[in-house]
Amino acid sequence: MVELGLNVPSLISYLINYIILLVLLGALAYRPLLNALDNRVESIRESLAAADRAREEAATSRSAIEEELNEARREGQRLLDQAREAAERFREEEMDRARQSAEEFAERARADITRERDAAINEVRAAFGDLAITAAERIIRRTVDRQAHQELIDQVLAEGEQALRRN
Amino acid sequence: MTTKRVLLLIGIASAVLLIVGFVIGAVGSKMFGLEKPFVSQPGIHLPPDPVFPAAVRQDVVGYRVAEKKDEAKEDQGASAGEDEHKEEHHGLGLMQFAVTNTMLSAWLTSIIMLVFFIGGARNPKVIPSRLQALIEMLFELVLNFASSILGPEMGRRAFPVVATIFFFVLFNAWIAIFLIPIYQAVGYGANVGGEFKLATHLVRPAGTDLNMPLALALVSFVFVEYWGFRAHSFGYLKKFFAFGDILRGRPSGLINVFVGLLELVSELVRIVSFTFRLFGNMTAGEILVVMITFLVPFVATQFVFGLELLVGLIQSVIFAGLTLVFLSVAVSHEEH
Repeated sequence: MVELGLNVPSLISYLINYIILLVLLGALAYRPLLNALDNRVESIRESLAAADRAREEAATSRSAIEEELNEARREGQRLLDQAREAAERFREEEMDRARQSAEEFAERARADITRERDAAINEVRAAFGDLAITAAERIIRRTVDRQAHQELIDQVLAEGEQALRRN
Repeated sequence: MTTKRVLLLIGIASAVLLIVGFVIGAVGSKMFGLEKPFVSQPGIHLPPDPVFPAAVRQDVVGYRVAEKKDEAKEDQGASAGEDEHKEEHHGLGLMQFAVTNTMLSAWLTSIIMLVFFIGGARNPKVIPSRLQALIEMLFELVLNFASSILGPEMGRRAFPVVATIFFFVLFNAWIAIFLIPIYQAVGYGANVGGEFKLATHLVRPAGTDLNMPLALALVSFVFVEYWGFRAHSFGYLKKFFAFGDILRGRPSGLINVFVGLLELVSELVRIVSFTFRLFGNMTAGEILVVMITFLVPFVATQFVFGLELLVGLIQSVIFAGLTLVFLSVAVSHEEH
């Protein structure tokens, strides 16, 4: 064996060399790198799970957003309909009110006209009565019972007025 | 210049170098009657050469120079007495201490390994650098290999020891090829027959030193036995000393005793087989490299380098793989 090179100090030297390598590599290369690999595996696993969760959440929130959008759209449509109805109602009310006030105005005008006409008729009637009396006095040239004449004249005038109204 | 043209030029240059190498190599110089080959005949010495202390080195190198002078004389004259030197040994004694060239190579490999692995694995990032990614890939290869044999938990426990064996064997084999100019040309010279020649190399692949594979084999052995004891406590010894049936008076127990002793022998023989497998392959590879360099220098050696890269990888895989398999058997509960 010595011819092949067997040498105890060399053997011990190689053993020490191996142990030093094992210790240094174990502490400064194997452990840190294998731990880093484990951490990476763990972080990749977590990232994939988080990505799955995020995808599910995104799908859920998307459907929720779509639902909310639809709800908002429906709400908007309802508000629009309400506004349209309110506007229509308001327009009709205003039309009614305008029509009513126009009618009231016309009624008032008609009443005013009637009153004015009645007043004018009364005035005419009074003047006509006086005129008729005066005329009659002049015609007959005698004084008659004024009260009786006046009643007679009023009766004639009333008949005349009724005849006018019928016309 | 296109890639094709570059490749063509490299091919032509290689062919020319191959022919020139053949002509000026040992084979060609004999054929064409040249004075001497381009590369002088290498001396094959199985034991590593001492480098420090200088006195020990000079002692060995001085002996070798004297040996070469004798050989030169024998070439000129009679060939009598040829066997005398071959049988004689002159190197380190069993207990003699010296820093050998293989030891220097192992230290160089260790430093390169430490720089490479610690440099790449220190402060690992989530997004790795290229070096970190390469080292991660190497570690994962070994870890997956260990886990496939031992299971994830035990594979992780065995990883440091097995990975260090694997990378140490691999780096030792490959560094000797990548740093071939240093390994082949740097050393201590001596004056042989009026000519200055390289008498001993400064570094030599550690795998060619019997002590290196033996040290790794012992590490592997101790590691396997330690885990065997840890898994089965003293019950582990029953595998080797199966006297249970004999003590109960069953004659068939003799077979168990015999099988147990065979197991014990095979357990010890593993150290030898581990040692000589790696030593033989590495030494044969080194001899092949120097012989091809001697016979046909330049290009022809490239094929041997390729082969040696493969051999280095295979040997490291075998060493680590067998350690894992033996460990798997040792910690297995099925056999007990």
